[in-house]
Amino acid sequence: MTAEKTIVCRCEEVTLGTIQDTVQTYCCSSREVKLRTRAGMGYCGGRTCRHVIDRVVAEITKEPIKDEVQLSYRSPIRPATFAVLGGGKHDNES
Amino acid sequence: MNFDIIVIGAGIIGCSTAYYLSKAGYKVGLVEKGDIASGTSSRCDAVALISDKKPGIDTDIGYKSIQMYKELAKELSFDFQFSSRGSLYVCETEQELEIAIGYAAQQRSDGYRMQIVDQKELLEIEPKLAKDLMGGIWTEVDSTMNPYLVCYAFIEEAKKYGLKLFTNHEVREIDRGVHGRIEKVITDKGIIRTERIVNCAGVWASQIGDMVGIDIPIRPRKGMILVTEKTDRIVNQKVHEFGYMLSKFEDINYKRNVSKLVENHNIAFTIEPTDADNYLVGGHRAFNGYDIRSENQVIRGIAERAMRFLPVLKDVSCIRTYAGIRPWVIDHLPIVSEVEEVPGFYIASGHEGDGISMAPITGKMITQLISGEKTDFDISRLRFSRYKEAIIS
Ligand SMILES: Cc1cc2nc3c(=O)[nH]c(=O)nc-3n(C[C@H](O)[C@H](O)[C@H](O)COP(=O)(O)OP(=O)(O)OC[C@H]3O[C@@H](n4cnc5c(N)ncnc54)[C@H](O)[C@@H]3O)c2cc1C
Ligand code: FES
Repeated sequence: MTAEKTIVCRCEEVTLGTIQDTVQTYCCSSREVKLRTRAGMGYCGGRTCRHVIDRVVAEITKEPIKDEVQLSYRSPIRPATFAVLGGGKHDNES
Repeated sequence: MNFDIIVIGAGIIGCSTAYYLSKAGYKVGLVEKGDIASGTSSRCDAVALISDKKPGIDTDIGYKSIQMYKELAKELSFDFQFSSRGSLYVCETEQELEIAIGYAAQQRSDGYRMQIVDQKELLEIEPKLAKDLMGGIWTEVDSTMNPYLVCYAFIEEAKKYGLKLFTNHEVREIDRGVHGRIEKVITDKGIIRTERIVNCAGVWASQIGDMVGIDIPIRPRKGMILVTEKTDRIVNQKVHEFGYMLSKFEDINYKRNVSKLVENHNIAFTIEPTDADNYLVGGHRAFNGYDIRSENQVIRGIAERAMRFLPVLKDVSCIRTYAGIRPWVIDHLPIVSEVEEVPGFYIASGHEGDGISMAPITGKMITQLISGEKTDFDISRLRFSRYKEAIIS
């Protein structure tokens, strides 16, 4: 499989090629790759793809993966509907 | 290393400032402790509005900034997702609508297009809104962009004019020479020589001020955002409650009929579509130091308030939340100014909830100040010395 066809971030459909190009062009961190490509910003909150992104970035920039979470998980830990978050139904729905 | 000017902080204000200074021919270094846009400019909403400004100079500057964004969207090679989608203020009560009508009339008499819409028109513009809202203000010129992409765009362009970017360089000390003039910026990675500094450190501007012995009264004011999953059209533009504006204008005393949770956390509904088809739902204001953790009670309050205006949200998922801290000052006007007691030291910070909106005009006016040109607007109200005068008088 080529880098152009390998999808790293399934939620946002970002390929390995796009991530590699971005790191090479901007010599940037995982965080910046995420902002520039949207990789890791999808429905699963990066749970599926962030380790791969971190590894690709580390390989190219030759900087070790930082201990502090580069692509931090942000709450809520699992997606939840507004009804669940906001506490039940409202009566002005008509 | 030697520069004409060192800009501290690569948020949207620092990036804009670095761009306009570089373009004007100065040799500029931009020093940032983290990545580009690692502060508030990547933890915010994304609109430039005139409809949330007070009539007069605030609106004039806001309008000018939108026009500048329009030009920049054409000039800069990097796409920052600018679009003039408009914005809609919604009124919950007759009383809110009445204040809105007065406000819009005043803005119209100044030549700004703000249209009052009634209940029926409101639902034509945004069909998913709750059916019991009274009306609102529709402002077509209000615009949106992606704030961190704006930062990248400014930097990309400024590099063509010779900007040197120092990311992961934290400013630790500032050295001064004869007559207190700026001489050096000392970072954790080394020394940079310069005679001028522009402090664009947002909520951290006061820490930079400490390094030259001045007290910059900027404080962090937190705001949380809920990001929805990608979903079918919910709204076509920024929609927010007029109560948000009323709570911002301290001279109007208006109390909304809201739950304790919403009241206590200073929550006011706002939603914005993004280019990626996620929606950003907010918002709130709180003084909570530099803490940017998500708070469950605030998430709850924002979700509750949002469903009151957009009942369809109840079945939409929130996939993540984030918080940012606005650089707040007591008189709600940014500081765009030289500092007389520290020759060579300038401040462009304190934009609170308007930094995205005001970035281009701020960068341009700081450049005018430094070059000794007349500024586009009379910015005497934005001077740093206003705080000294306030203490004396
Ligand atoms: C929830 C929320 C919603 C918002 N919505 C909007 C909106 O819709 N429209 C709008 O116009 N505004 C909005 N704002 C406000 C806007 O985000 C801010 O006004 C703006 O981002 C401030 O930009 P800045 O460049 O001044 O600060 P920042 O972006 O915080 O940049 C300051 C930079 O300085 C760096 N720095 C700090 N200390 C040092 C040091 N010692 N050495 C080197 N670098 C240093 C930081 O790392 C940071 O990158 C919102 C804010 C929040 C919180
Ligand atoms: S796979 Fe990347 S965010 Fe879900």
